[in-house]
Amino acid sequence: MRLLRQARNTLRLLFRRHRLEDELDAEVRGCFETLVERKIASGLTPNMARREARLEFDSVEQIKQSVRDSRSGASLDFLAHDLFHGVRSLRKNPGFSIVALLTLALGIGVNAALFSVFYSVLLRPLPYDRPQELGLIWTTFEKLGASRAPTSGVVWNELRQRSKLLKEVAAIWVGSGTFTVGGQAEQVKLGFVTTNFLSTLGVNALHGRVFTLDENAGGRLAVVLSNAFWHSRFGGDPSVIGRAVRLNGGPVTVVGIMPEHFELHFPRDSNVPNQVQAFLAFPNRLERAPRTLYYLRLLARTQAGARALQVQSELNSIAAELRQAYPEYAAENMRFEYVPLHADAVRELRPALVALFAGAGLVLLICCVNIANLLLTRANQRRREFAVRSAIGASQGRVLRQLLAESAVLSLVGAGLGVLLGHFGLQLLRAWQPAHLTRIADASIAWPVLLFIAVIVVACATIFGLTPVFEWRRRNLADTLRESGRGALTPVRRRLRAALITAEITLGLILLIGAGLMIQTLANLRSVRPGYEPTQLLTFSVELPGARYPGDKQRLQFFDNWERALTAIPGVESVGGISHLPLDDYPNWYGSYRVEGIPAESSKALLADHRAVTAGFLPAMGARLIEGRFFTPQDRESGMQVAIVDSVLARTTWPGKSPVGQRIEFEHYDNGRFVPRWAEVVGVVENLRHHGLTTPARGQIFVPYPQSSRPHLSFAVRTTLDPSSLAEPIRAALRQLDPEVAASRFQPMTVYVERALGPAGFSALLSGVFAALALALAAVGVYGVVSYSVSQRFSEMGLRAALGASASDIQRTVLGEGVRMSIAGIVLGVIGSLAVSRYFEALVYGITVLDAPTYLVSVIVVLAAALAGCWIPARKAASANPADALRAD
Amino acid sequence: MPDNSTELLKGTLDLLILRTLALEPMHGLGISDRIRQITGGVFVVKPGSLFPALHRLEEKGWLDSRWGETEANRKAKFYRITESGKKQLEQEKQNWLRVLTAVNQVIEQES
Repeated sequence: MRLLRQARNTLRLLFRRHRLEDELDAEVRGCFETLVERKIASGLTPNMARREARLEFDSVEQIKQSVRDSRSGASLDFLAHDLFHGVRSLRKNPGFSIVALLTLALGIGVNAALFSVFYSVLLRPLPYDRPQELGLIWTTFEKLGASRAPTSGVVWNELRQRSKLLKEVAAIWVGSGTFTVGGQAEQVKLGFVTTNFLSTLGVNALHGRVFTLDENAGGRLAVVLSNAFWHSRFGGDPSVIGRAVRLNGGPVTVVGIMPEHFELHFPRDSNVPNQVQAFLAFPNRLERAPRTLYYLRLLARTQAGARALQVQSELNSIAAELRQAYPEYAAENMRFEYVPLHADAVRELRPALVALFAGAGLVLLICCVNIANLLLTRANQRRREFAVRSAIGASQGRVLRQLLAESAVLSLVGAGLGVLLGHFGLQLLRAWQPAHLTRIADASIAWPVLLFIAVIVVACATIFGLTPVFEWRRRNLADTLRESGRGALTPVRRRLRAALITAEITLGLILLIGAGLMIQTLANLRSVRPGYEPTQLLTFSVELPGARYPGDKQRLQFFDNWERALTAIPGVESVGGISHLPLDDYPNWYGSYRVEGIPAESSKALLADHRAVTAGFLPAMGARLIEGRFFTPQDRESGMQVAIVDSVLARTTWPGKSPVGQRIEFEHYDNGRFVPRWAEVVGVVENLRHHGLTTPARGQIFVPYPQSSRPHLSFAVRTTLDPSSLAEPIRAALRQLDPEVAASRFQPMTVYVERALGPAGFSALLSGVFAALALALAAVGVYGVVSYSVSQRFSEMGLRAALGASASDIQRTVLGEGVRMSIAGIVLGVIGSLAVSRYFEALVYGITVLDAPTYLVSVIVVLAAALAGCWIPARKAASANPADALRAD
Repeated sequence: MPDNSTELLKGTLDLLILRTLALEPMHGLGISDRIRQITGGVFVVKPGSLFPALHRLEEKGWLDSRWGETEANRKAKFYRITESGKKQLEQEKQNWLRVLTAVNQVIEQES
């Protein structure tokens, strides 16, 4: 009750101030006038009455002030006054204020933006129902040395039935399909899923429904469309639900539309992209598919509260049971690995983001150090001011309050600017849309963290802003006043400031070395030859509808005609098709191969990526032939079985020997089945970088398309024109050949390469920005300290000049001071970098984390920044006129 | 003036104001007139103490105020004691009596 009243009074004071003031005035003045009237009534002249009343009455203004002071909201009134004073005092010293505000804003802004990215990608729960229960099950074939591999339908079915800790096990494989709507064919990414896949994620359809558990077991096939595809092809018309549309040349029924922001968040090596235009429940019984056809990516939902370790141990025992039950799985020594979905999806992003986050943290630290430094300098300059004020009667509390108010104004404005900067920084990052960080698209400023950062910076500003008060307790007022104007630094404070500069240089150097490594990594990746010539190359993919092209023969016929049609387009130099375009996210195909002359059981099994190519593909891509020959149109299905291997496979399989003429056995795709077949190696090409630009993990085997044909092919067209300009003529040519076949994903090959460079570019740019900020801040810090120390020693400089020191001697003295301060920081910075370097291992390419030139250059740059900070004060010191300097005191 | 006597006076002033207003609502000058009258001129409450005290008591909810007209037809703020003000007055009275008794005992012992 009392609190309530107090709050009401305070509010009244704040918001109805004018009325309160008017009433108070009327009341007090009225009282005075009554007194005057009384005096007049008792016979005094009006003038006399007024004078007497005034003697009796205290001054009206004084009374009003004491009423104001007695009110409960009075301290707020003081606050307003102090804040006003704070603003005024900051405006009086714009140099200090601008640097301090910028520093605060940068520290807060950079961290706010980066942490928001960090939060939205790494920490924010996935947009599914109870996402912490979701996980992926990877298969490990120990004998082959293959981990994180897909699995077979039999395994999916067995896991589903045997596991008690897993509530659901679902599977997905993303391929492509061709929809024909209104006579227009369009190829899309088609997610083949088990019927429980979408319900396992816990996402419901926006319109219609997701699959029922026995969907597609008989009758017409059902599909669920993505929101974007529904809008682009069906105009967002809900009546499409229940309607039949043509997919791959046959009718399917649309049963549901997914919500607008639905996306899949799977790790990159699962080949499950973020956006899938349509989902189709597997039309076949998965558990009846060949036991060793491994292509399914398994998604699981655990029982509530089950921990990853428990699930893993259950999967271990199920794996043992399966090895007992199926000889194939025993032979491959099959195991499972369970990983929480979110952790696995960001597994490749985490190291770089953590490193960048740490970098932003260092920038924040440097900002705090700089603020501390600035405020210490300022406190020193104002020592006399405060001494005078306290000598003429300002209470200690009052001065403390004023300093607090100054810090508060500085912090509030700085934090405000920081939030603004963070907001724009985040907008910029979002607009940039790095392909590997899809989730930052809907990132927003992470407020709790922003608050936390702001508290740190503000606390720092407050603590150091109050140093004059700490000083007071130790020092005698009279001493301060007696000191000749600008007293020398106290030893404690001198050491403190030197320590702050050392810290700045240390942190700056660590950031600079990190950025140096990132930038060189980017440069190294850029200069990598990916095994092909990506410029002047247009790529696109074609999926043949199974209903119209059921067999190898029809497919061969079509693609032969198609390549001929392509070559006839003006501007086209050469063309070729491949089952798996390098750097594309089409599900990779890899498997084991056997080398003739080495018994199957005697050596570790060998794994390679398998690709089917048309004769023109490798030459059109600009692949480099190391040995032997490319495929020719004469390498047909009926002729000799041949293969081309890449440099990686050649080196590991036949070290020191020529692979040409050797024979290997691997699986060929033959009318829908995988069959092992022997083939003779006829050529060796340089590895075509497929999964990324860094060193490939596996070798590659190329086989002529006619000897292992499949419904999906990606094409590469080398041209003398602008590659993008060919898309339209190519579409037209395809429509002419068969209007029910669609081509999609027209993209210059350079786009794929740029996208592969994305993560490295992101890290390099951000770490570069951080390092630049750190350098600038460190230079400002050094400048502040040195220029202050020069101004303190101005008379000393003058004395030196008077005694015959040349300008360059003095300049050297000052620069020397800067260098001395930097040395400790550089030593600590190098030690710090060495200590954290192992965390960078995974992030660099083509350079070691202990790269000596990077360290050397970074040290030189930091030193240069420190010297730049000393330069202006050194010039000023050198220009000291002996007479002026000596007279100044 | 040492602090402790101000404290005492402040408490006394509250008591005097509340007691005065317990009779009838009054404006500021009236209150100070009445106090002077009743105490036979011992207490002269100057406006500089009176007005802050009035506003403080009003903030605490022991008084409320209303604008009215004085006998000389001048607008003035009239203060009135509230229910909780009456309770407070009782309490202040008890306190005062206790203090008075205690002080008396000390004085009597000394003499």
